[in-house]
Amino acid sequence: MAYIEVKGLKYKYPATETMALKGLDFSVEKGEFIGVTGENNSGKSTLCQAFVGLVPNFYRGAYGGSITIDGLDIAKASNAEICTTVGLVFQNPYNQFSGACDTVFDEIAFGLQNIGIEKQEMIRRVNEAMEMLDIAAYRDRNPFDLSGGQQQRVAIAGILAMKPQVLVLDEPTSQLDPQGSEEVFKAIDTMTQAGITIIIAEHKIEKIAEFADKILLLKDGLAADFDTPEKVFSRSDLASLGIDPPVYTLAAEKLGKRKPESGLYPVTLSDAAECIGTDIPRVVLKKRDEYKIEPTFDVSDISFSYDGQKNIIEHLSLKLDSRPTAIIGQNGAGKTTLVKLLKGLLKPTEGSITLAGEDVVGQTVASLSSKIGYVFQNPNDQVFKNNVMDEVMFGPLNIGFTKEEARERSIQALREVQLEWAKDINPYDLGLSDRKLVAIASVLAMDTDIVIFDEPTIAQDRKGKERIADVIRKLEAEGKGVIGILHDMDFVAQCFDRVIIMAKGTILADDEVHKAFTYGPALDQAKLEPPHVAKLMKAIGVGRFALSVDEIEKSATAGEYI
Amino acid sequence: MKSISLYVDKNSIFHNLHSFTKLFYLLTMILVPAIVGSVWGFAAAAAFSFLLLVICGLLKKAMPFVLFTITIVLIIFIVQGLTYPGNETVMFSLGKIEFYREGIMYALRIGLNFWNILFAFALLILTTKPKDMVEDCEQIGLSPKFGYIIASVFQIIPQMTGTMSTITDAQRSRGMETEGKLLTRAKAFIPLMAPVVMSSLINTKERAMALEIRGFNADIKKTYLYTRKLKISDKICLFMMGLSILSSIVFRVVKWLISK
Amino acid sequence: MKKNLFKTKFNTAVIVLIPVCIGINFLGKFIAAQLKLPLWLDCIGTCVGGVLGGPVIGAICGAVNNLVYTITTGDVQSWPYFLTSIGIGLTVGIMARLGNMEKFGKALATAFVVVVVAVAISTPINVILWGGTTGVVFGDAVFTFLREKGVGLWLASLCDEALIDLIDKFLTIVITFFIVKALPKTITSVYSVGDEIKNL
Repeated sequence: MAYIEVKGLKYKYPATETMALKGLDFSVEKGEFIGVTGENNSGKSTLCQAFVGLVPNFYRGAYGGSITIDGLDIAKASNAEICTTVGLVFQNPYNQFSGACDTVFDEIAFGLQNIGIEKQEMIRRVNEAMEMLDIAAYRDRNPFDLSGGQQQRVAIAGILAMKPQVLVLDEPTSQLDPQGSEEVFKAIDTMTQAGITIIIAEHKIEKIAEFADKILLLKDGLAADFDTPEKVFSRSDLASLGIDPPVYTLAAEKLGKRKPESGLYPVTLSDAAECIGTDIPRVVLKKRDEYKIEPTFDVSDISFSYDGQKNIIEHLSLKLDSRPTAIIGQNGAGKTTLVKLLKGLLKPTEGSITLAGEDVVGQTVASLSSKIGYVFQNPNDQVFKNNVMDEVMFGPLNIGFTKEEARERSIQALREVQLEWAKDINPYDLGLSDRKLVAIASVLAMDTDIVIFDEPTIAQDRKGKERIADVIRKLEAEGKGVIGILHDMDFVAQCFDRVIIMAKGTILADDEVHKAFTYGPALDQAKLEPPHVAKLMKAIGVGRFALSVDEIEKSATAGEYI
Repeated sequence: MKSISLYVDKNSIFHNLHSFTKLFYLLTMILVPAIVGSVWGFAAAAAFSFLLLVICGLLKKAMPFVLFTITIVLIIFIVQGLTYPGNETVMFSLGKIEFYREGIMYALRIGLNFWNILFAFALLILTTKPKDMVEDCEQIGLSPKFGYIIASVFQIIPQMTGTMSTITDAQRSRGMETEGKLLTRAKAFIPLMAPVVMSSLINTKERAMALEIRGFNADIKKTYLYTRKLKISDKICLFMMGLSILSSIVFRVVKWLISK
Repeated sequence: MKKNLFKTKFNTAVIVLIPVCIGINFLGKFIAAQLKLPLWLDCIGTCVGGVLGGPVIGAICGAVNNLVYTITTGDVQSWPYFLTSIGIGLTVGIMARLGNMEKFGKALATAFVVVVVAVAISTPINVILWGGTTGVVFGDAVFTFLREKGVGLWLASLCDEALIDLIDKFLTIVITFFIVKALPKTITSVYSVGDEIKNL
């Protein structure tokens, strides 16, 4: 019998019609690393929660089949037995803190107290877990004051201290910036080395492909595939299953390069580089002089500080235009502060900002709201109506549209994000990814000249990203200014024409997207990585950079080879 | 994260006492003057706690409490001075308005007792971390689940109010006004309140699950990372306070016997 | 029906609900103050707790709320009103279990009962502790005026309290009604009493 056995696993949430899991069968050996992937609502989270018995014991509902780990029937096991056998890490770092401990040390010990571990042993285990996850330096800090990556590692330590043999992670890096994700992946790697069985659901497919022994691909509550990454990602029907293969695989596929020994596509950077070799098309740079570029914001020598002492923005000058512009940089670089200044939500301590010649600083937020739209990062910070339509109409009504106009614009905006079907649904009955699209629609409906997006792609799967890309392209075609704050460099390469690299409240580089990603020192200083395709190009040793698979494909069909 | 607890992190004689000793001090200060029953008793008790606040260097931190209560005490003096049922003797008058001695004395009694309790209470909460007190109580039998409720309130409130500035910005970005006429301001209440309320309620689901997988529901006797024992100083204090409650009862009984 | 009225699940979901409800109470007060509204709106969370978790949870929310409020502000004077808070939580919980929070009209009836309960509990506390005043200048002016006119202590105090409670508690219940209505089913089902796991 295998270490973990999943047999005929079925589940239906209470008060719902459709089955979330429709009969899963698979087994996992001790020490394996399993990546779970699939589009949103394919059953990934439900499966993760079934591993720790939350499905069905927390939700109730209807349950069939079984999960056994090391002989323990999870659905029937006691809370204490489960804790010491298998642990679960959630997406959101701060929701999984106990919320009752004010230091990292106490937080990690929380679970140990509950399962009655003796004091000396408790201290020993907490120290061990902090050591393993490299967080000992924060032992006396309040866990809520840490960065996302640090928080997530504290959460993992809290689970790990209970000594489970299996660790399940449900999109543990989806809310983190690139640096935080990197920290967490490093921690996961350490745990694999220690022999812990890892089951991880994750959208960052390149990472999964690199680490996983096997990939479980879910579609509508069923296992569409369960095999090695190369086999799964070489399937030709991935798009219809709602996922993208790793960018490296896609590039090899577009160029028709398979691994000679297996006939499969490569899934990791090094394999892809080897497989593709130097037989690679010349890149045709996008031409941007085809249409008119209108100037928008003129930012002149502004500084800003929240506390009157430390400047978050330091003597910054910038001329923006109608090209889709991405602002990139680590958390704390001042990106959000900068766009809040543009939006008039914050006022600079010195310097001036104008929009199409008109002063911004002197205007109220309300009067600017009809000109500049701003989609905040977390939709939960703005959604408050009990149906989607009313939520989207709130903005247009505030800025003086009539009810009829507002309704028309709202329908139009919902159509653009493909959520027209949801107009009578409670936005909180939708998933986070769809709720974010509602928030985007609620700003689009205001028909502003400028639209600012703060991390639009967080928690989006392939389809969601595609919809947002469509929205940005449409705004661009209408001649509206698009400004985005992003961590997802592949998306930047796909949708944006101009890139501004920020660190510590200043601009390190500001250029056309292809050129911006060639500024090695600026990217290093801002602790950023170029898009995956650019990394691949670099690994191959091609001097000029293609930034997306699309560009590789375009050049390939043009037939221009180096 | 900004803490909402009033605990002052320093070292003083009161900080070094066990939380039960401090709780018992509050109880003693409520009981003794009430049993003795004289206005002087309230005054002496209030003065004693006040002195302790000064010795522990906490007076500055306790001042906001006092300012908080000035209006209500003032109102009591005015209202009772004017309308106390037993009012007979005019004490002084402001123009046509006459203040009565009985009412003022009654107000003095309420006011002094009020401040007495306030000072004793200030000593307790300025020198005790809520989490420590909850843990101490859990160790003598308070349900750990109830303990969790209290401890987590102290973290959840700053978290919830912390998101308020983002929400205000997000709604203002959509053209909502937060200033102006009463009706305009009242209309902003729901758009500001609902997002936090909804997401906090939704987050409870994930937090509850996170607690369960960390053994919150395990049928095992909980152990503690920190255990605080009663020290000699605590025992001496507890003994003295017990004695003073006892003597106040004796005093009252003797007084009652004599009056008979 | 009667048996279910006070039935309470003390599962983890409910334990976690209580601190959030208290947070909502604080937040209501905080936002009302920020918008300079002449209201408190400081027991919305207690009411939400009562509707979702039942009367016992409502009462616990009320009691803990006042305890924590006193500890975090040093406002000793308001502590005895934990009795009022318990009363409000209990009342809303009972009314909700009787189906009186499902439609807007019925919610108004609940609001009326809540005002009556709040006034009935607060007035004796006002009289015993403060000789009848509430500490709200506007209400106390009315109190003094009525007393000067020879109105009895209890009646004057009752008017004082009812005046300041009426609008506040009505709005509180209306807001609670809309919040609970807007909650997604996936959340409310977590609190529903008496579901069992079905076997497939």
